[in-house]
Amino acid sequence: MQASRARLFKEYKEVQREKTADPDIQLVCDDSNIFKWTALIKGPSETPYEGGVFQLAFAVPEQYPLQPPQVRFLTKIFHPNVHFKTGEICLDILKNAWSPAWTLQSVCRAIIALMAHPEPDSPLNCDSGNLLRSGDVRGFQSMAKMYTRLAAMPKKG
Amino acid sequence: MLSDSISTAPIPSAANTKNLGKKKRTNRSAKLKQCKIDARREQWLSQGAVKNKGRKDAGDNNHAPSMPDGKDSKRSLEELEMRPRGEDNYGSVHQDSDVESPYNSPTSVDSSVLGSNNSGTLFSGSSGSSSSSSAGCCSGNITDEEVEEGDDGCFDDWEAVADALAADEKHQNSSSEAPHEQETTVQKDSPVEKANGSNFGAQNFHPESASLISQASGNTRAWRPDDAFRPQCLPNLSKQFSLPNPDRRYGGGMVRARSAVPHSCPICCEDLDFTDSSFLPCPCGFRLCLFCHKRILEEDGRCPGCRKTYECEPVETEACVHGGSLTLRLARSCSLIERS
Repeated sequence: MQASRARLFKEYKEVQREKTADPDIQLVCDDSNIFKWTALIKGPSETPYEGGVFQLAFAVPEQYPLQPPQVRFLTKIFHPNVHFKTGEICLDILKNAWSPAWTLQSVCRAIIALMAHPEPDSPLNCDSGNLLRSGDVRGFQSMAKMYTRLAAMPKKG
Repeated sequence: MLSDSISTAPIPSAANTKNLGKKKRTNRSAKLKQCKIDARREQWLSQGAVKNKGRKDAGDNNHAPSMPDGKDSKRSLEELEMRPRGEDNYGSVHQDSDVESPYNSPTSVDSSVLGSNNSGTLFSGSSGSSSSSSAGCCSGNITDEEVEEGDDGCFDDWEAVADALAADEKHQNSSSEAPHEQETTVQKDSPVEKANGSNFGAQNFHPESASLISQASGNTRAWRPDDAFRPQCLPNLSKQFSLPNPDRRYGGGMVRARSAVPHSCPICCEDLDFTDSSFLPCPCGFRLCLFCHKRILEEDGRCPGCRKTYECEPVETEACVHGGSLTLRLARSCSLIERS
């Protein structure tokens, strides 16, 4: 409990200090609860998510960093490894491959990497996974781009 | 959400309305939070791209219908800007405790670096005898220690390891800093220094009586019992008093000397104490404090650095550390010999 708090404070300070270090990640701690974080990440370039800003919700367990944080997308995203309704993310480092040496910041980076390199063989979003597995990259990209435009881009007017 | 609660709860109406009110309130606070985050996103995006400034206002209007025009959205942004400052204050309170450790480490590093530099420049030219004498003193010391270790081959427990390392550290300190001190005396009055040098030289010529003579020189110099420059071979009566301070100084110096050693545990962010920083549980070189190591062993037992399971049993890790200190000592004595 105390260890997780100290660690999160450290990460908070790190985030404050290196605010401009990673321009694609904006990590914000909840005002009243240090175990709740929100992240805004920019969709990586040369992917259908380019130009979108995606919101992630972190729920940090008290055993952190021995236990991984629970992360999910709050912004709708069409991606094979993200559940379309709940935003749950299928990523090994958030499950069994977690290491206490990871930080919330590095988790964000991993998620950006996952957005750029989907794993269609362990899909949470079957439609998206099937499109990719059947080789319809174009279909996948147009769907993903559409949802990015619908959900992750600042609305006009 | 509302329809959901109504359909699932066929309960008395009072409770129902209460429930609804509560939900409404949580809804509102959630909305407020979301509004803040949206504003933050706008701010973030507008930092990078000034071109879509018009869209920013429009976006704010869209997300927060209660703000009719650009002014209000601006105010909300100002509020947002205020907020992190408050958070910063909040953070700085905790920084105080953190500042302490880096604060004393750089100074100690500086001093030790300064000392070694001075000794390097000074003794390359003028008084090789005294530097070699200090090396001699150290080598005598090392043999002493090795005799001690030869008794049972390995350390009994962690305290023994820590003590040995501390001793190691002390004579390193004395070897690197004693010349520095002499250098300061050079500036005051050189004859004293020369006398000292000759004294040390004599010690060099009669290595079998090294400890005796250094004791004699100790008498002339009047070591304080808690003096960091006090030679290790002097009888150590007030060990408990002398230990903590040099420990700290050395802890700082070591961070730089062996660059891989962090000054705080990467898992729990507590400062690594001396035992922790000499603890190397995994061949990949990932360091952490003993407390976190124990917790990890209780859970899945994998090294955070390489995700391989820790192979070493605690006994073996002790041996590992022992070996590390030995090689370290060897490396140091080698460097001393080279310098002389």
